Amino acid sequence: MRTAVGIGWRPEIDLTIERLAGVDFVEVIAENVCVEHLPESLRVLRARGVEVIPHGVALGLAGADRPDPARLARLAEVAGALESPLVSEHLAFVRAGGLEAGHLLPAPMTWDALDVVVENVRIAQESLPVPLALENPATLLTWPDNEMSEARFLTELVERTGVRLLIDVANLHTERVNHGLDPAAALAELPLEAVEYVHVAGGVERDGLWHDTHAHPVTAPVLEVLEMLCALHRPPRVLLERDTDFPPAGELAAELAAIRAVLTRPAVRS
Amino acid sequence: MSARERLARQQGELLAALVAGGPTPAGFDPERVRTQARALAAKRRDSALRAVPELADALGPRWPGEFMTWALVHPKPAEGGSRADVHAFASHLCERDALPAALAEVFTTREPSRWGRWRGWLARRAWGRGQ
Repeated sequence: MRTAVGIGWRPEIDLTIERLAGVDFVEVIAENVCVEHLPESLRVLRARGVEVIPHGVALGLAGADRPDPARLARLAEVAGALESPLVSEHLAFVRAGGLEAGHLLPAPMTWDALDVVVENVRIAQESLPVPLALENPATLLTWPDNEMSEARFLTELVERTGVRLLIDVANLHTERVNHGLDPAAALAELPLEAVEYVHVAGGVERDGLWHDTHAHPVTAPVLEVLEMLCALHRPPRVLLERDTDFPPAGELAAELAAIRAVLTRPAVRS
Repeated sequence: MSARERLARQQGELLAALVAGGPTPAGFDPERVRTQARALAAKRRDSALRAVPELADALGPRWPGEFMTWALVHPKPAEGGSRADVHAFASHLCERDALPAALAEVFTTREPSRWGRWRGWLARRAWGRGQ
C-alpha cells in the first residue's frame, strides 16, 4: 500500500494547503478546533476526501492526574465532527501541582509511571470513538532514575492497552542530539506495526542541543531517521509539521517532495 | 503512597523548578533544567507577543528581557491563555510603577470596565508629571 503524505493544517497556511498537490491527509491541533465553527478550509478538504486527524496537546496522558473528562469529551466531539479515522496525543505531562507547563514534558520512564500511564490511556480509549495514537515527545531533559528506554515504555503501553503509535522522527533525532539516543536501536525496539503515522519536522541546534521548533526547514538527519524507519516497516502515513515562520508554498511543496523521495526509495530489508 | 501520588510529587517538583523558580529536584542536570525553563519561557514570550503585539513597542529595549526574567519565576495563569499572561505581567510592572503607558492603554482601551484601576493610575501619573 502506498504511504499517504500529509501536512499539519494551520489557519495561517489554509489556502496554501488547499492548493498543494498530493496532500492525502492533514492534522489539526484538536484544542484549536471549535466544532460549531469548523474552518471553511477543513470543510473543503473533507469534501475532497482528505482525512483530518485531531492532534491533542493538552490531555497530559503521562501526567499524574487522570485525563479530564471534559477535555476527552471535546476531543471525541472533534473526531466525530471531522469523521477522523483516529486521534493522537503525546506521551507527556503538561501540568502538575496546579501549575501549567505550557508545553510537553517527559514522564519518568519507570514501571511505577507506566502503571499510571496505562490507566490514563485506558480511560482515554474508553471515551474516544476512534483509536488513539501516542507520540514520542522531543525533550531537553531526562529523569535521573529512568528504568527503561522510551521505546520499551511505548512497547509496554502498546502491549497492555492496544494503543497505536505516532512516531516523530524529528523527536528521535532530538533525542539523538540531546541524550545520545541511537535512533536505529530505538526503532528496532519499537512495535512498528502499531504505527498509524509518522511526524517529520524541522528544528535548530543551539549550543549543542536540538530544539524541535517546527519553525525551521527539515534537515537531512531527520530524513535519515525517516529512511531508517521505512527500511524496517513502511508506515501508512507520513506528515510534515510546520507551526510558525511559514515559508512560501514552494518551500513546503519541496519539503513534501523530499519526504516522498524517501518513501519511494526501495526498502533495504535484511 | 500510590504510584499516582509518587508521580504527582515527582512531576510537581520538576514543574515548580521549571516555571516557578523552585529548586532543581535531586539528580537532574541543573543546566538542562535551566535550558528547559528558558525554552518554556520563550514559548510564553512568543505567545504573549502574538496575543498583544503592542508589547514589543511599548516596552522598547526592555522587551523581551523583562518578560523573560519575570516568566522564569511566575507561572502562566492556569486560565485565560496568553492574554491573561500579559495581564499578569502588566500587573507586575504596575505594582513596581514600571508599566509603560502604551501597554496600560492597550488594556484600558480594549477592556475599559476591567482596567479602570489602571486608568486611574495613568491619570495620577499624568497629574504627577504635571506638578
